Amino acid sequence: MLIYISRRLLWTPVLLFVAGLFIFSLGSVAPGDPAELMAGQRADPEAIARIRDRLGLDDPFLVQYTRYAANALKGDFGESYRYRGRDVIELLGPKLLVSLELNIVSYVVTLLIGLPLGFWAAMRQGTWKDPTMTTFMLLVYALPVFFTAPFLILVFALWLDWIPVSGWSGMFSTHAILPAFTIGVPGAFVFMRYMRASTLDVLGQEYVRTAHGKGMGHMTVNRRHIARNALLPIVTILGFSLAGLFGGSLIVELIYGIPGVSRLALEAVFQRDYPVLTTLTLLGATMLAIANLVADIMYSLIDPRIRLRA
Amino acid sequence: MRYVRRLMIAGLAVAVMLAIGCSADEPTPVPPTATSVPEPTATQVPTKAPEVQPTSSGVAPTATAIAAATSTAVAEATASAGEQATVVAEETATAASQAAEDVDDREFDARRGGVFRLLGTDPVTFDPALTTDSTSYDITLQLFSGLTRLTDDPNNPIVTDLAESFTVSSDGTVYRFVLREGLVFSDGSPLTAFDFKWSWERAALPETGSPIVKEFLGDIVGINDIVDGNATSAEGITVIDDLTLEVEIDSPKPYFIAKLTYPVTFVVNRDNVESGGETWTEAPIGSGPFVLKSYEIGVSMVLARNDNYWDTPAFLDEVQFILAGGSAMAMYENEEIHVTGIPAASYERVTDPNEQLSQEVVDVPAEFVTYYIGFNVEQAPFDDVHFRRALNFAVDKELIAEAVLNNRAKPAYGPIPPGFVGFNPDLEGLRFDAEKAQEELAMSKYADPESLPRIVFTTPGTGGSPPTYLLAVADMWARTLGVEVEFQEVEWATFLQEIDNYRLQVFSLAWSPDYPDPHTFVDVLFRSDSSINQTQYANDEVDALLDEATTEPDPARRVQLYQQAEQIIVNDAVWVPMWWGTEGKILVNRRVNGFRISPLGSYYLKDVWIEREIDF
Repeated sequence: MLIYISRRLLWTPVLLFVAGLFIFSLGSVAPGDPAELMAGQRADPEAIARIRDRLGLDDPFLVQYTRYAANALKGDFGESYRYRGRDVIELLGPKLLVSLELNIVSYVVTLLIGLPLGFWAAMRQGTWKDPTMTTFMLLVYALPVFFTAPFLILVFALWLDWIPVSGWSGMFSTHAILPAFTIGVPGAFVFMRYMRASTLDVLGQEYVRTAHGKGMGHMTVNRRHIARNALLPIVTILGFSLAGLFGGSLIVELIYGIPGVSRLALEAVFQRDYPVLTTLTLLGATMLAIANLVADIMYSLIDPRIRLRA
Repeated sequence: MRYVRRLMIAGLAVAVMLAIGCSADEPTPVPPTATSVPEPTATQVPTKAPEVQPTSSGVAPTATAIAAATSTAVAEATASAGEQATVVAEETATAASQAAEDVDDREFDARRGGVFRLLGTDPVTFDPALTTDSTSYDITLQLFSGLTRLTDDPNNPIVTDLAESFTVSSDGTVYRFVLREGLVFSDGSPLTAFDFKWSWERAALPETGSPIVKEFLGDIVGINDIVDGNATSAEGITVIDDLTLEVEIDSPKPYFIAKLTYPVTFVVNRDNVESGGETWTEAPIGSGPFVLKSYEIGVSMVLARNDNYWDTPAFLDEVQFILAGGSAMAMYENEEIHVTGIPAASYERVTDPNEQLSQEVVDVPAEFVTYYIGFNVEQAPFDDVHFRRALNFAVDKELIAEAVLNNRAKPAYGPIPPGFVGFNPDLEGLRFDAEKAQEELAMSKYADPESLPRIVFTTPGTGGSPPTYLLAVADMWARTLGVEVEFQEVEWATFLQEIDNYRLQVFSLAWSPDYPDPHTFVDVLFRSDSSINQTQYANDEVDALLDEATTEPDPARRVQLYQQAEQIIVNDAVWVPMWWGTEGKILVNRRVNGFRISPLGSYYLKDVWIEREIDF
């Protein structure tokens, strides 16, 4: 087990180096020049050359990447091109936090709706209720965010005037309610399906029949035997979802005016702010690597056969 | 530049044309400006205040009282006077104090206070020396100030600001500025002529990295040496005493004073800049009507009143910019912001007289802007003047304006928009004429359709398809002349690079002026050696006229020279001029007074006040 984990851990830096190299090289082949963008339309070529010089953009690609990687190892991810004098980490930190909060509340909504619904539907397999609920959730899942978000704003912020239209003041404020539901409810469909399938699996197991046969109450069987066992495979899926926690949700952030990481990332693309872009990509790759690792470890804890093969 | 904002609008094209000057409200990434976030922005909307303008009668008469410092006035003075021509009336100071007295104290107090909220985007910089884009421009205008400033009075576009008056030598090359007495920065430290000398020299230093300093201050003797790293001080700038600054420029340029309204010429605080390092603008000390109270990137920006402002201080306690985006229209209706453009989707509802919101709709006067289709005259097939003229004659702008744009766009026939200094009502544009178009095509070397190379028409944007009016233009070209074009849409960064390297054959863009002088249209875009002559147009006759106009002291003659150059440019069909600024509508909260935007497109928040009855 330890060998397995450490082998995976050793691979991570290699993975990150390659990911970083990839995104960094995009900077040298993509059209558009950050110096030109910084200088504006009015700038004469000399002014652009001065900026290129200051940013070190004229150095060979490998020199630039080595410099970046060496600094990154020391925890210095450079300065943003767009926000002069601002450290990339200082810039990204607060935005990542906001996106993390947003994703956590959305996730809570997803789980609180998806899991009970999936269980509920599985228990009603064969009646009209199961397909009706599944179809309904599929419809919700299929609705595009750029429709649901303005709709929710219209109803809850403008007509009912319960919650503000936009802004963000933490995951425990009223600001979080609409975005959390906008992201969380459609996501619940996926977990509902997982939970439903997994519950159906468990329902067919002999120990469930035994429990019923022992004369245990329905509630007890449901809770202690069915739900608990059905949740096990779900846990591993949760591990994978970790990777998404730091990711933004672009459209939701734009519509609700949430100062998350997506807006910054989008802006960085348009502004060719390569230090920000590279750092974001590296962060994303790191999260994915960690999430994979966590998921693998969870699998192996649950299923000894995986451990043995490793 | 402001240019960039237009671009954004050009990119949004029809949606915006229809919504008229309004930013779209959808979350779709909008073609980014060169520098600012690709965001729907309420503050980028051309705006005019509601009818109520109590402030201009009360506090702002300084502006009107000061005898004009327009380039025209300057030139007149220069021309007429023998030794030194005093341009600015001396009663300025008295006018200012009188004005303040005019406003009843009680009334003044009643207007004072309140928080004004806008949806905005992150400025690229707060450093006036680095300001080139419209978002930064709008903010530096609130935080800093210079010797002169712009007004929204078309008859008197430039007034003195920190300068009380100035005189110009008879040869037009030496400007002597007298500063107002007792000027201080927002932190209370004194502001003298030395600060101007230091600020201008600092703006020129290579370390500062100002991309536009040559354009705006390069006329001053010695500034270019600093930019090139050969000097650290400019001999053309002399401090006579604390209140007197003498500036020598390389040749008489009547438009020099107009350039001093641009942020790169604003005064900054030496201690502030030197102690703050590269991030001094996180706590900038300026001399504008507001100070920066807080700024969190992508979240919010708060300006507070500068109580040390030289003139009557601003009414507003605070101006809050929401930078995180959001649905502008919904935020406006929920009173989370005070101003917004009207998205196309809401236009009908909002302007319906039965709708309560319609009472908050404010007309925006036409802005100075020219939309155009530019040809790269060095690239085939646009290297043939007859071919370019044929394309011009083939476009029926009136029809497009009516059928595609619901008459919300005003067909343009030359670069300089109506109302702008030097506009020529007698300009002979290349109006739609199918026969002439075909004749011109026959005269060109591309008369044979086989000889016509592939034409790629590039538009900046991320909308997915070119604006409908451009499709209409292409259709007219195809029908009248049999000339087919392919469209290619590229996002702004790519567009900028391609156009800087003259790789685009034909493109659509918009331009709006930086200062009230025809120079900003004609010279900057069409002089053969201008660094932003995107069309590579070179005409010796035009260059000669522009050279003459640059130093011509007689304003009437000067305008004439620019108009002659403009006519040649039009005849040479370097562009297809498409639209001039159009009137539009925006929403301004009914309790907000005094919010307006100059025809040059920026706003000045000092005179804004909010009626107090209901708390926000």
